[in-house]
Amino acid sequence: MAKLEKPVSIIKPVGYCGGCGHGVIQRLIAECLEELGMADDTISVVDIACSYWSLEALDFDAIAGPHGRCAAVATGVKKVRPDKTVYVHAGDGSSYVIGLAETCYTAIRDIPITMIVVNNGIFGMTGGQLCLATTLIGDKTLSSKKGRTKEQAGQPVDMLNVFKNFDVEYVARGALYDAKHVDQTKRMIKRGLENQRDKKGFSLIEILSNCPTNWKMTPVEAAEKVKNETEKVFPLGTYVDRGGAK
Amino acid sequence: MHSDYMLMKGNEAIAEAALRAGCRFYAGYPITPQNEILEYMASNMEKWGGTFIQGENEIASMSMLWGAAAAGARCMSSSSGPGYDLKQEGISYLSSYNLPAVIVDVMRYGLGDGEITEGQDSYWQAVRGGGHGDSRQIVLAPASVSECAALTYEAFHLAEKYRNVVIILSDGAISQMIEKCTLPPTYEHDKDKFDWTLTGKPRGVKKNKVTNLDRTIGREAADTIMKEKFVAMFENEQRWEEVMTDDAELVLVAYGISSRVCKSAVRQARKEGLKLGLLRPISVWPYPRKAFEKMPDCVKGYVTVEMSLSTQMGEDILLACKHSKPLYGHLTGVRVPTAEGLIEDCKQILAGKVKPVEVL
Ligand SMILES: Cc1ncc(C[n+]2csc(CCOP(=O)(O)OP(=O)(O)O)c2C)c(N)n1
Ligand code: SF4
Repeated sequence: MAKLEKPVSIIKPVGYCGGCGHGVIQRLIAECLEELGMADDTISVVDIACSYWSLEALDFDAIAGPHGRCAAVATGVKKVRPDKTVYVHAGDGSSYVIGLAETCYTAIRDIPITMIVVNNGIFGMTGGQLCLATTLIGDKTLSSKKGRTKEQAGQPVDMLNVFKNFDVEYVARGALYDAKHVDQTKRMIKRGLENQRDKKGFSLIEILSNCPTNWKMTPVEAAEKVKNETEKVFPLGTYVDRGGAK
Repeated sequence: MHSDYMLMKGNEAIAEAALRAGCRFYAGYPITPQNEILEYMASNMEKWGGTFIQGENEIASMSMLWGAAAAGARCMSSSSGPGYDLKQEGISYLSSYNLPAVIVDVMRYGLGDGEITEGQDSYWQAVRGGGHGDSRQIVLAPASVSECAALTYEAFHLAEKYRNVVIILSDGAISQMIEKCTLPPTYEHDKDKFDWTLTGKPRGVKKNKVTNLDRTIGREAADTIMKEKFVAMFENEQRWEEVMTDDAELVLVAYGISSRVCKSAVRQARKEGLKLGLLRPISVWPYPRKAFEKMPDCVKGYVTVEMSLSTQMGEDILLACKHSKPLYGHLTGVRVPTAEGLIEDCKQILAGKVKPVEVL
């Protein structure tokens, strides 16, 4: 079997916890950009949360969009540098909670960026509090110690059902719990980047990930949870594909 | 449109001057009394080849600005009162990232939703509070429509010179009045001229990481850069205007709309033999301390003339004169002061019938 080459855009080992999906996602982004020949004109926007590591790990011009504001920061960058590839790598807390307005209106404006949202069901960077948009009912977090209830925090929301109502280019959800799904997710990321290359509109790819550290699970247990529980609430697949599948 | 003189509103002068200064990115959210800036940008930005965005709120507009500034554009946002509160997050981040931008605060009077009319009670917020953390912003206060244009034009230059946020502190009256305005020449900004911007570079070229400065160069180095910047701005950027201060017994100190009334008050008072003078700070940060250093000995006191309840600028006057003279306050809150009221007050002060300011 051919040895998998590490993308050259990854220049530094960084501090994601072992078994965390963020590192896989970062690698997929780098692989896709290189395979598409787009790595030489890319600007990345990361959130101040766990995805921040990617600012250091990847050899791209990069800006940190302080917690929640990534989509708006990316809008500013893309408007000034319309010929460059601008992607966002941010958490679900950032994109769907504190920054929901920013993410929604970037989609509503159909800004041609590729937005990658990491749904790990929790606030990773701050140590494991509830994420209003994605923590599953019953899940224990530092701010829902007995398990999330609807009375306490409402239900988690499939935000892609919100985004699919906007006139955008592409909305899809992938997962990472086995090789098949990593591959499927990679194709989604690639699609989102191609759309940008082809001067099409806003692409949003949500990725079901995990946070073994704050879920207090081994990476294998965390993968099982995504497969058996998370995916039931957040179904995988393509929600919008304006241009039609290729 | 491109003639050098126009009859226009203060707000329009700010917007037109920004475009002429090479501003090619504007994002903002409507709030009275600064709406004309946003509307002017919406109508005219396209002609200049730039981007206008009506943001979903002030926070998002500021976030767009820090993306645009990092990508090399000259950019601006504007707001007032409650909207300016929301801008402070962005001002703090732009400062921590060492990014240049121009932010306009057209003050409106009052706490909370307050009034939509003129006021000067956001002085402290503008000159002391960029947002959380330790940062300083140059704050320029125009007193005429022409000055709205001139200071905005200059603000872009200063923002780049120091890689810092520059604030134009206007108020409802200056922003809404219509006067003949001298317009600056056009300047084409090259978004590729700096080596620190995000351009999307090919492999082998060193990449730029735009984030809190301390994360890229370390806390100590970042603090040193900041401190040196504060000192340089303080030393180089003090601006003011004086009217008949040479032999003044009482010096009125006022900026923006209040200073215009003070100017007529000084002229009128002189006709009655009352020796008033005016010191008008144009930069309210850095505060023009150099002007106070050379005030003549005949000055018996300073009168801060402000549309606020607290003597917000009064603090700066006492610091600037090193508490060498008493400070009196003519504080009119929501009302624009009148020359008659001011002269009457000054007569009382000179007759020893008014106590200096008690609460700062
Ligand atoms: C305005 C603001 N509020 C709160 C924080 C603290 N904070 C940093 S990251 C974060 C949550 C991160 O969660 P998420 O966006 O889901 O990303 P993850 O770390 O899980 O990848 C919070 C609350 C902040 N930096 N700024
Ligand atoms: S805290 Fe959670 S999300 Fe963050 S790096 Fe660790 S495992 Fe990943």
